[in-house]
Amino acid sequence: MLYVKELYKSYETGKNKYEVLKGIDFHVPLGEFVAVMGPSGSGKTTLLNCISCYIPFDKGNIRLGGMELAGMNEDELARVRNTKIGFVFQDFMLLDGLTVRENILVPRIVQGEVEQEAEKLADQLAAMFGIVPILNKYPAEISGGEKQRAAVARSLINNPLIILADEPTGNLDSKSSRAVIETFIHAKQKMDATIFMVTHDSFSASFCDRVILLKDGSIYRQLEKREERSVFQDRLLDAIKEMSE
Amino acid sequence: MSSMTNMKQMEQKLQKADRKQSRLYLFCNFMALMIISAYSALMLSPTVQKVFPKGGDSAKQMYMIFVMTLVGCVVFTIYALGLFFRHKSGQLGILMALGASRRRLAPGLYREVIFLSGVSAIAGTAAGFPFVQVIWQSFRLFLVDSSDMVLTFDFRCLFVSLLFLFFVVGFACLTAWRYLKKTNIMEVIREEHINEPVKEPGRWCGPVGVLVLLAGAVMGYQAPGAWHAWFSAYPPAWAGVFYAPVFPGLYMVMLHTVVHGWKSHRKNPYKNIISRSMMKFQGRQTVNNMLVITLLVAGGCFAVFYVPINAISALISYASQPFDYFYNYQADQKAPEREEVEALGREYGLSFKDWKACEYVTLGIGGNAVIEEEDGRSYHIEYVEMKSEAIVFSEDAYRELTGQEVDVEPGTYFNLTNEEESTLFTNESARGFTNMVTRTQLATRFAGYLHFDLLVDLNRDCCVLDNEDYALISEGLTDDWRGYFVRFNVDGEDSYPFANAFYHRFVSSFDASCERPSYYDRVQKIQENEAGKVYWGDTDDMTTISYDMSDSFMFRNFWVYQPDFRILNQNDYARNMGVMFMMFLFIFLVCMITAMVVCYTRCQSIAINNRYIFDDLKKLGASPAFLDREVRSQCGSVFKVPSLVGTSAMFLLFSMILYANDGRIIGTEWAAIGACLCITAAIGGVIYTVYRFAVKVIKGQLGIIYVRK
Repeated sequence: MLYVKELYKSYETGKNKYEVLKGIDFHVPLGEFVAVMGPSGSGKTTLLNCISCYIPFDKGNIRLGGMELAGMNEDELARVRNTKIGFVFQDFMLLDGLTVRENILVPRIVQGEVEQEAEKLADQLAAMFGIVPILNKYPAEISGGEKQRAAVARSLINNPLIILADEPTGNLDSKSSRAVIETFIHAKQKMDATIFMVTHDSFSASFCDRVILLKDGSIYRQLEKREERSVFQDRLLDAIKEMSE
Repeated sequence: MSSMTNMKQMEQKLQKADRKQSRLYLFCNFMALMIISAYSALMLSPTVQKVFPKGGDSAKQMYMIFVMTLVGCVVFTIYALGLFFRHKSGQLGILMALGASRRRLAPGLYREVIFLSGVSAIAGTAAGFPFVQVIWQSFRLFLVDSSDMVLTFDFRCLFVSLLFLFFVVGFACLTAWRYLKKTNIMEVIREEHINEPVKEPGRWCGPVGVLVLLAGAVMGYQAPGAWHAWFSAYPPAWAGVFYAPVFPGLYMVMLHTVVHGWKSHRKNPYKNIISRSMMKFQGRQTVNNMLVITLLVAGGCFAVFYVPINAISALISYASQPFDYFYNYQADQKAPEREEVEALGREYGLSFKDWKACEYVTLGIGGNAVIEEEDGRSYHIEYVEMKSEAIVFSEDAYRELTGQEVDVEPGTYFNLTNEEESTLFTNESARGFTNMVTRTQLATRFAGYLHFDLLVDLNRDCCVLDNEDYALISEGLTDDWRGYFVRFNVDGEDSYPFANAFYHRFVSSFDASCERPSYYDRVQKIQENEAGKVYWGDTDDMTTISYDMSDSFMFRNFWVYQPDFRILNQNDYARNMGVMFMMFLFIFLVCMITAMVVCYTRCQSIAINNRYIFDDLKKLGASPAFLDREVRSQCGSVFKVPSLVGTSAMFLLFSMILYANDGRIIGTEWAAIGACLCITAAIGGVIYTVYRFAVKVIKGQLGIIYVRK
């Protein structure tokens, strides 16, 4: 479903050039919940931003649902972002001037007219993620956890091929973090959603089917979950410890 | 169910939610356009144009400050637009991230910026006219009024406003296009939180900046004189470039203010570390804004100092003039005789004393003249036998008129100047005088100066000859080259109505041959005509003087026989100079309003940009007193340093000009400097009030509740 092949990305600051991604290769099949972990500066967010076409990359291929992203023009990329990708940001990125329901519907509005069917879907997602009581509230009136659940609902409104989440629990307390992760699991189970999540948090990552460990712009190791969540978390922590040695 | 079903409705809702940012942008644009529109309307109005001599220093100053204000307004509108887009970019970025293409976003964004910039610009341009009317009419109502001050507009001034309007709308569209063109969506989303730190210079930056600034000011001021001295040529227009170091100097001073501040940090290096860091991280915009504020405050002070510098010396000289009435007329004119004047005086209950009428003649005087080369730029000094007109007295007539004892040796002449010997028209180089009717010449040499203030500033030389020399050279002169000076005092208290009536009677007694300005030189005209050329004074608009407008600024300041009636001069001074003074007062108001709006907006952006930091500081346990100090510290830097630099730079410049006139500062000039100091204090008071208001508003926005004891 998502193929990333030989992906390179560098940043230039003045005369200095920093290679952030150095030939990343991986594949995410449909319905998998994958986490990317790694220390600061390892290239996690850059990888996510390249996949979501938010930033251009230097070299390599990204194929999403059979479509090659590298050669696409601006309009085509926008269409991919709108219909094939759902994005969840660390700081929610809800529009302050819109209610929660309206925020959930934004990707549909961007697509064209909102019909009753979309509004019904928004309500269903809200019910699924436990945010019905706040549907008519504005972002300033709700908690961080509620904002993130609304953002997850927004990411699903167009039935995307994949949800890309950048540190979705980074700004939340443990209770809210758990609630957000549960929304992902819910989406995976009920909607067969594919989720690709960048996180620092081993607890959140331990809910995933697979964890990709990134170090200095390259894949250090990939861990698949074959055991209980808590045991997987311990194995994950050991791998992280090993990576930082 | 959602009331919002399409892109247009969503954009409308988001715009409604963003009205606070939109209001700030609208306000900034509106103010900038209103100020430029009002300034250009007044500057180009026939009311002002006919009073400010074309190419004169006052007109140049008016245009120079206009350019400065225009630059200030351009920088200000760009800044306001930047603030608007900093907020807008977050929204745009989110929509782009959610799949809105540029094509989809463009119509709504362009519609919004064109609407906001267009409406504010059109409203500002339109408001400029009532704004200038209100201020001008208030001047007329409360300060001074005259026939000169009737305000009329030349609507060609709209051209300037329209250019600025197109710039504002065009630049807004260009900025929108630049945002839509960005390929890095994360950059668009994070734009609001991107800082613009300045590179930290060493602590030498400020002091060196002050030196560079002063060097620029001195170089710029001295350059024209040095050019004359070294190249015997008129300085070219680009000689203004010598002022250029002023700007980097000013920039260094502001940079130092933002990065280091001017207080010593040795004792407590951490005292202002937070406010200083906040300023440093928005350094680029802060420094730019502070530069604009400095220029505007300087422009305002330049304009407002003009009034006391000119008015005080004039009023003091009127008060000290030795005779109540002093005037002259050509012998072929039917000026009122003594009996008629006394009869008119009786009508107003006045009697007169010290009456004297003394004859003089107008001769051609030789002297060193500036001869322009063919290129029109360079010149050389050459002695010419008939340089210009000179008013010439016999020693007896002069003694009688002024009461001064004088003994002139045959073959010599005395030249008249004021007590301070600081007048423009003095002539030490004359070797002879010429009778312009018979062309007889009298050889003379300079014997020294006599001092009598009422006989200087007549725009021509004034000399005294030995009695016999005078009789010899004036023989054969016709009445149009002869004339009389008359002086008398009022026995008791003078009357303005009498002076006014006498003035109008006096003016009406002259025929058309005397309808000319004081700088019209008949000697030069004769020579030019004899050489087959047209005298410049017969072609130039500047020489237009009309008896029909005997109370106008032009007539009262430039008529060749304009009398010195003390009470008339004193009472009508403000009226005669009304348009000029009020124009400068208006420029002052415009500059100060603009400067204060920029200060206030800058302080607003401190609150908008640093809200998160203040919230974090609160969470870290910062007391309201500490937060209050941080706000004051930042707003203080924005208000205080530019105001201080702007006012003191202009104060020093004016003091330097007064000193450079004659190498000293005389009594009336000290009085003017004192008045400028008082005005500076008043300006400081106004700035402080606006600063207090800005601090109060920002503290409210940041939720800081603290009242200083």
